Order: sequence, then structure tokens, then C-alpha cells
Amino acid sequence: MFRFHVDGSSGVPPYLQLVHQVRQSLLLGYLQEGDRLPTVKDVASDLVINPNTVVKAYRQLEHEGLAGGRPGQGTFITGSLSPDPPEAHRALRASLERWLRDADAAGLSDEAVSALIAVARHDMKKEKV
Amino acid sequence: MIWVSWRQHRSQAIACLGMLGILAIFAIVVSSSMRTAFSHDALAGCLAHNPATGACQGAVGAFMNSFNTVVNIGFWALSLALPGLIGVVIGAPLIARELEYGTWQLAWAQTVPRTRWLVTKLAVVTGGLVILGAAMTALITWYRQPMDRLTGHFINNVYDFEGLALTAYILLAFGLAVLAGLLIRRSIPAMVAALVAWLAVRLAVEYLLRPRFQAPLTLRQTCAHGCSLDVGITSVPPETGHIGDWVLRAANPGNQIVGTYQPAGRFWNFQFIEAGLIVTITAAALAATIWLLRRRAA
Amino acid sequence: MTRDAAAVAAVQTTRLGRRYGQVWGLRDCTLEVPAGAIAGLVGPNGAGKTTLLQMIIGLLKPTEGQASVFGQTSRAHTAATLARVSFVAQDHPLYRDFSVADMLHLGRVMNPSWDQGLALARMNALGIPPKRKVKSLSGGQQAQVSLTMALAKRAPLLVLDEPVSSLDPIARLEFMRDVMAATADTGLTVLIASHVVSELERLCDWLIVLTAGHVQLAGPVDDLLAAHRLLTVPRATQDAELPGHCIHRSDSDRHSTALVRADPARMAALDHPGWQADPVGFEQLVLAYLQRPPAAAAQDDPAQAAARPGPTTKAVTR
Repeated sequence: MFRFHVDGSSGVPPYLQLVHQVRQSLLLGYLQEGDRLPTVKDVASDLVINPNTVVKAYRQLEHEGLAGGRPGQGTFITGSLSPDPPEAHRALRASLERWLRDADAAGLSDEAVSALIAVARHDMKKEKV
Repeated sequence: MIWVSWRQHRSQAIACLGMLGILAIFAIVVSSSMRTAFSHDALAGCLAHNPATGACQGAVGAFMNSFNTVVNIGFWALSLALPGLIGVVIGAPLIARELEYGTWQLAWAQTVPRTRWLVTKLAVVTGGLVILGAAMTALITWYRQPMDRLTGHFINNVYDFEGLALTAYILLAFGLAVLAGLLIRRSIPAMVAALVAWLAVRLAVEYLLRPRFQAPLTLRQTCAHGCSLDVGITSVPPETGHIGDWVLRAANPGNQIVGTYQPAGRFWNFQFIEAGLIVTITAAALAATIWLLRRRAA
Repeated sequence: MTRDAAAVAAVQTTRLGRRYGQVWGLRDCTLEVPAGAIAGLVGPNGAGKTTLLQMIIGLLKPTEGQASVFGQTSRAHTAATLARVSFVAQDHPLYRDFSVADMLHLGRVMNPSWDQGLALARMNALGIPPKRKVKSLSGGQQAQVSLTMALAKRAPLLVLDEPVSSLDPIARLEFMRDVMAATADTGLTVLIASHVVSELERLCDWLIVLTAGHVQLAGPVDDLLAAHRLLTVPRATQDAELPGHCIHRSDSDRHSTALVRADPARMAALDHPGWQADPVGFEQLVLAYLQRPPAAAAQDDPAQAAARPGPTTKAVTR
């Protein structure tokens, strides 16, 4: 049976943590199409969380096309998350390394680099909204 | 709910049975020597053939001296305390204990409305106390039988143990204690308060009301030879002509005896009147308890 | 999670209040818990949680206002109203001289809806021997017996008053695990009073915050979190400039952090330049309201109404 875990101190809502774990496992190959996810009751008692949280997570997965419920049988993985094609990866990786070398030349520490990335992502999100 | 009431009072029931057992042993031991002495001293024959003369006085006097102390004084102390103690020890915790220990939140959150909970409990325990009272009365009446032939049972501490009085007073203490338990919410203080109230009623009835349940008879007699009338119970020889009459007032002017008394035959009348009064007070206390509990709920 | 507007709320109170002598233990309490929700009632010791729960169940008579469970007023105190609620009181009182089997027998004779099979199965699974006297059980085992009795009653509403405060962490976990399993199985509504906020986040989808006898916050957790923001603003910003009620504010030299209940009409104002608006976490939200003076709650009834579900929300299903 696939087992979840929830981190109470992470600040991320529990249902999102469950969704992330399914996505993560799909990416890493721990979950495959056709696998059955544990029942709402099993997850709720295993993790000692509100069953509604599990329902919400499973609904979110359905919404994203990753899982679907079969009446009387449970919830099954219906989709897959393939990692980005290797080509796009290599190009991104190369431009990233160039940028990191520029940042290093400009004298940015590791922490400054991380902070810069966080601020930029935050501002970009705001623009999107 | 009957099972629950029984189970909660089970250890009290066992303690009462134990007490009855001890009482029975005591009764059997003393009674057998009493009966032996009675027949040995031919007191029965004495009473049958010479009821009004002083010829038997010596034998009676000796008998009374041997057994009176054990029987009367012990009984007086007990009669004043024991029924009251039984009643308050069983009655006070009935509600108070639930409140003290928080178990009222358990008992009154089940699917039994608290009025039904209380009524069932009261019915079960009252039934048990009536049986206890009847058993104690029967035991003591049997035990005192030889002595009663000499004194009748109007004498106050015997009156309290025979007939209906014992059972009624146990119930009174119980009723007052249950009410006290609800009002005071703590078992021990409720026991004390109920015992004090019970004692007040008990003493008031015994000394103020009991002599007046029926109008007493008057006696005025001139004696040929020396005779004296004393307040208390007529024994051997019976100045009123009857053993067991309860003399309320007596005077001995010159060679006359003057007094008022209640005849022995009125014993059961008096028992019924007194029991009726006491049981009515008990019923009122229990009704008040039920009403108060209901009012706090709804 | 969705709620059916036509479904009867599991719990509803209207201006509920209780006075002890001259002191009001609870005042002007109006709230609702929908069927199927797991509601957390949070507040410091002495806030009035036990008083509120006892009035909801019908164990205590309100001084003013009224409470009802599944549409039936709690004051009626008939067998019908008592059958709808299971209660585990604080310190899980049991009859100490009874054996575990005796306690279960009591449950069976006093509750027509009793499920003896469930009760025995739980005792078995927990390894609690039925012949053992309650007084010789550990605190955790006693709590489990109390919970078993409440679950075996099979009532649609389960009310727990600080059920785990006297338990060690393992016992706590086991206790709540069984409650969650029961909720998943039967669509049970649960109302848990607690002063341990951190444990409630994973358990509750409905929240009530109570301080000094007044309701500070009540509503579905998701909606409440969505309605609040943590704003980082310049120090000079006045409370009145903030787009909503300021619940809690902490000031540094040059900036302030304000937890704000956003006024729905002014949500756009959150995008103020120079301000940063972040979502609020569950524990953060609860603690901010716990620290708020009770008088503040009286001033913002209209805003509280915004946190409650309106007629557009849909049914709870599991």
C-alpha cells in the first residue's frame, strides 16, 4: 500500500502535501498508472488526519487528471507525469550554469543567489495574478 | 437501569447483609440465654398464674437485672443512631457522589433522561431498605420476645425497633440524605446535615408528638396497701392492671395513684400513625429531589 | 468539502450564555457546526469551552439563548435528544469500582442504539481485559474505555472535551486515530475542545475560537484561512488603512506585520505597492485570535458573518 506522510510544521496545507507526494512518486517511478491509492479511511487513520483532507487531495488529483475513482473499488492512478524531455532539460541546464558563473563573478554568495531566485519567483507570481 | 442501580449499590447491599449477619449472631447468642433464664426462672408460669401480685416480683427483678443493661442501654444508643446512619450513608452519595466525581456527565449523557435515572434508583434502593428494615425488625422482635412479655413494646427504645418504626426511620434518613446530597453536592457534608435534620425530626416526634397521637386514659385509684405509680412502662406488678401500658404522668398523693397513660393495645395504632407521618415526610423529600433535578435539566 | 444548505446543522447555538453567580462564564455565543464536520473548539483554560459543550449536549441549563442538536433543542432532555449525542467529558469520568465489562453493560442497558460488538472488538484490539476494574487501568486505557463507550453508542454527533490532555503522546495518537477511522466510516460529526492548537490543524475542518466566554472566530477552516492575510507594511501605516480588521499587529523599527481579516470588498487593496501579503497558517491564525482581547469580538459581528457559510455552499460527502 502506498503510504503518505504529513509534516505539521511545514506551513503547507496537509492536502497539498498529499498531492505533492503523489506527483513526486509519479516522477520518481514509485507510483505507476493502474496503482491503487489507499482508501480515505486508511490514510486518515494512518496519518491521524481529517478524512476530508484526503478527499480533497484525491479530488485535486482527479482534477489534474492524475487519479480517478472507480465506484466500489477505490482510487487509482490514471495519468503519469513524465519529466520534461531531455532536450529542454539540457538547454535549461546550460543557461543556468552560465547564469551561476555570472553571479559568482559578480560576487554573490550562495545565500544571496537563493534569495534572489526566491524574490524573482515571488514577483513573477504576483504579476501572473 | 435497574441493573445499573443495583450494581452501583451492590457493595452497600453486601455491607448491610453483613451487618444483619452480625446482628443475627448477637441476637441468637443473647436470646438463647434469655429464653433459658425465662423458662428456668418459671417466669412464664409466674405471669400466667399470678399476673397481678407481687409474688413474681423477685423473679422478674432478677431477670431484668441480668438482661436489662445489655438490652436497653445498648439499644437506646443504637436506636438513636443506627437507622439514621444506615439511611444517610446510603442516601447522601446517591446523587452527591456523581457530582463529586464528575460521573454525572457520564450518567446523564446516556439515553436515559435524568428523571428516569433518579426515579429508578430511588425505587430500587427504597425497596432494598424496606426489606432491610423488615428483616432487622423481625430479628429484633424475635430476639426480644421473652423480655417483651414483661415490658410490652411501648417502652420507647423498643417501640423504635419493633413494628414499623425502624423501617420508617431508615427511609426518612435516606430521603433527607438524598435531598441533602443534591443541594450540598458533597457526600460527607450531606450525610452530616441529613443526620442532624433526621435527629431533630426523630426527637421531636418521639418526645413531643408520640405521647399525643391519641388522647391518653386517666387513672385514679385508691390502693388498700402501698402502691406507687411511676412514669414509664407498667411491668410486674402492673398498676394500671395491664403489663406494657405507657404511663405519661403519675402522682402518688396519700394512698391514691393518679396518672395518665396510653394502653398497650394502642401500640399498632401508634405505629401506623407515626410511620404514616414519617413516610409522608420522606416522600416529600424525595419528591422535592426529583423536582429539583428536573428543573435543573430542562 | 461541500455542505448541503438544506441539511440540518449538527450543532446550532443562538446567543447562548451561562452565568455563575455574578460572572458570565459564556456570553452571546452564536455558532453552527454542519453535519459531517470535524470541529475544533479552541481556547485557553477557563475560556468557557466545557460550559459551551455541556449546554450543547443538554447537561447544563443555559441562562440565556438556546442550543440545538440536529434541529432538536438541547433543553428538551428527552431520550430522543440524548440519543443523538455521545459525550466524553474532561478527565473521562468512569465508575471506578466497575469492571470494564460492567461499564460496557451499563452502556448497553442505557442506550438502545448500543453496538456491543464494536465495543468488545475495540477492547480486544486495545488489549484491555474486560474483567479488569476501571481503577486499575492506566489513564490512557481509561480514556480509551470512555471513547469506546461514546463510539459504541453510535450517535451521529461525538463531543470530546479535551479528550487527550491527560494522555501521553502515544495514547493521544491512538485515541485520535480511532476517532478519524470512525469519522471516515460513518460520516460522524465531531466537536473537539482543546487547548493544544498544533494538533487540531490536521484534524479539523471547522474552527471555533473562544476566549473569556466569547466567540472570537467561527467557521470552516478553509474559508477562514482564505479570508486572512499576513501583511508586511511600513511601520507608519495606520490600522485604518489596512483593508480589513487588524487582528494582531507586531511592530519593528521600520516595518509592521499585521494579521488582517480581509474585507471582501477591499481585497484588491491587498496589492498595495510596498506591501507584502502572505497567506496565514492555521496555528498562526488561531494564536492571533487567542491573543485578542475579548471586547474586540463584540465590535465585529458583521465581519464574523462573512466567515460563515452562505447559501451557495454545497453538501458534505465522504
